[in-house]
Amino acid sequence: MILRDVVVVGGSIAALTAVETLRLEDFDGRITVLSDEELPPYTRVPLSKGVLAGRESADDVVLAPLADEVDLHLRTAATGLDLDARTVHTHGGPIAYDGLVIATGARARRIGTPGQTERVLRSYDDGMRLREDLRRVSSVLVVGGGFLGMEIASTALELGRDVTVVDLAPPLDRLLGTTVGSYVRTVAERAGVRIVVAHGGVRLLGEPIPTGVETSDGRRLEADLVVSAVGDVPNVEWLAGSGVPLSSGVVVDERCRVSPHVVAAGDVAVLATGDGALIRTPSWTNAVEQARFAVRALLHGDEAPEYRPSRYFWTEQFGLDVKMVGPLDPQGEPTVLDGGLDAGSALLAWPDAETPGQVVAVNHHTPPAKLKRMLRGARPTPTAAQ
Amino acid sequence: MLVQADRDKCEGHGLCADVAPEVFELDDDAVVVLRHVQVPPELERKAEAGARVCPVAALRVAT
Repeated sequence: MILRDVVVVGGSIAALTAVETLRLEDFDGRITVLSDEELPPYTRVPLSKGVLAGRESADDVVLAPLADEVDLHLRTAATGLDLDARTVHTHGGPIAYDGLVIATGARARRIGTPGQTERVLRSYDDGMRLREDLRRVSSVLVVGGGFLGMEIASTALELGRDVTVVDLAPPLDRLLGTTVGSYVRTVAERAGVRIVVAHGGVRLLGEPIPTGVETSDGRRLEADLVVSAVGDVPNVEWLAGSGVPLSSGVVVDERCRVSPHVVAAGDVAVLATGDGALIRTPSWTNAVEQARFAVRALLHGDEAPEYRPSRYFWTEQFGLDVKMVGPLDPQGEPTVLDGGLDAGSALLAWPDAETPGQVVAVNHHTPPAKLKRMLRGARPTPTAAQ
Repeated sequence: MLVQADRDKCEGHGLCADVAPEVFELDDDAVVVLRHVQVPPELERKAEAGARVCPVAALRVAT
């Protein structure tokens, strides 16, 4: 099958990597990219850090421009898909493809009512709005203590704000495990962040702009600015009724395919692993790696390699640089490979140094490639995370 | 083609070196090192692809 017209739907790093991979694989047909963003492809990674702190602007986050021969349509959302006719619908009319890459990503999850204008951080515009809001307030309440929520808390603290984080469980534990999670929380609390655990969840108070939350046991937390960082929702509405299998994302096979002509990658994709598990991995590294495999499968079919995520995650907060490889939420006590958390720099492995299933570097300058190599060859450990 | 790396911005995630090991590598402190500043023509696409996957936009290419 020789493809002549590949359409990439999406405008972030999975879409961009798909385009780059097409070019590296010497695809010489037409490449059309449909992005609903105002900006050309940019990185979201600094939005919760340098951009929010006011140190970086659009110029600092926009990625190197696409090659001239790529047809990039900004402000162009896909509104529907016809698999039989091989056509993507947009408000500007239909666009035909013979190969399709679905990389529409995800958007911020919201927990407020329709009457509430919830502050979230996902797009560059969100980042600029939040930055303006942060200038005007003295207290900030972050709802959600994942990587994003804790990074927002860290930046708000750096700006001198009074910061509270509320979550269903101790922040970061389900990502970094309890050992590193509690260490980062201790550093955050020493720096001045208040952490509140509300096991029953919270309800946003105030309309239209939320002014606080109420916990299920009746506690009220209030702040000048309330930010929700409660996860993401894949952008699949445009695929409703198309026949593309959906299950909290676009379900793809082990080569990232929906069908021989259609692949998906990045935050929107849900990988069916063969043992019945469906895994969505909304992270930068996954978007890059998965897009590379997806495009190879589009071009080479069954001869393309199966996708094996490297599962590399990182976060920067409260002066800590945390890099991790392996399944999230390592269980039990780690083996210390170098340094120690008490000393402020540590290289940790679970369950042991000989057969690590997870390795975490905290303020420890080990190149990620080396971290990944430490897992390679080791026997696979059962995944604790769901 | 010229490649520029902002070593202050680099956080050492190493995606550039995964995509284009012929152009980018990481030193012992996990900071990017350019193997070519002036990129030979046969590596230009790789250099561009490697630059574009940097999560902190620390890499630039210029023709």
